[in-house]
Amino acid sequence: MSEKSKKLGKIIKAIWIFNWFNSCGFAELVPLVGSRWDMERFGMIVVGNPRHADVLFIAGYQTLKSIKRARLVYEQMAEPRVVLALGCCTITGGMYWDSYNTIKKLSDYIPVNMYIPGCPPRPEAVFEACGKIFQHVKEMD
Amino acid sequence: MEVVVEERIVKDIKANLNIAGEVKRSRRILITLEKEDLLKVSEWIKGRGFEHLSAISVVDWLEAGIYEITYHVWSQEDKILITLKTSINRQKAVIDSVISVWDRSAGIHERELHELFGVNFEGNPDLVPLFLEDWEGPPPFRKDFNWREYTGEKYYDQENEREHVYYE
Repeated sequence: MSEKSKKLGKIIKAIWIFNWFNSCGFAELVPLVGSRWDMERFGMIVVGNPRHADVLFIAGYQTLKSIKRARLVYEQMAEPRVVLALGCCTITGGMYWDSYNTIKKLSDYIPVNMYIPGCPPRPEAVFEACGKIFQHVKEMD
Repeated sequence: MEVVVEERIVKDIKANLNIAGEVKRSRRILITLEKEDLLKVSEWIKGRGFEHLSAISVVDWLEAGIYEITYHVWSQEDKILITLKTSINRQKAVIDSVISVWDRSAGIHERELHELFGVNFEGNPDLVPLFLEDWEGPPPFRKDFNWREYTGEKYYDQENEREHVYYE
């Protein structure tokens, strides 16, 4: 274990999230905040400013117009940053695979660390992905 | 159903502008007109109390080669909806803008239709794109725009066999 990963491992106790959700992506992930799954018990908090965020959640289809704004959000985030793409729409375009105005594969536009499939993904899947972020930090060189 | 006011409005339009209207049912009037008469009729019905332009829509009749443009105008006073219908050639889609009559509420609809159908509204100073950014293809709501083909070319890798589209 290197010095850097030791430091990060101590620093990272909670992940702060910035949400970039289009359409149903938001509605389907609201239970994550609610009392049944309650992401705050793992120290996950939604922040209002990308500059404070460690993790960017992107869900729902992205149009050509909104992907530009998503990029701006991504560029504002401080290093080290992680992007989690949620749902089928970010992987293949989902329902909008033949739409002329939505992007198909998110990683063509923004570097994505992890895709979580599902339409929408289960809250448990999101938690597992976040657990993998911690693991990723611990295994860093 | 009583259609007294409706009948009176249709009669007034016939008397003043010599354009025939039709009472469809209570609170609904349909006027089909030539595109040259559009501004004349618009101004007259605006003066009669039809101040609220709720929508402008375009129907693309591909076989007939026309765009059917529909204006829905509501009167708060009489609670009546007038539908103005006119058709233009879809190859040379040019029509007078009603921005001089209904001002900015017409502007936003015309902007949208210019973007989605390519209709040119003469007299509208602000026909910049509304929803689409950096759009290079043809107006996407035209019936002859093959969006599946466009999407396949733009977003999918033609070389990659796994990205070939397999719909019937």
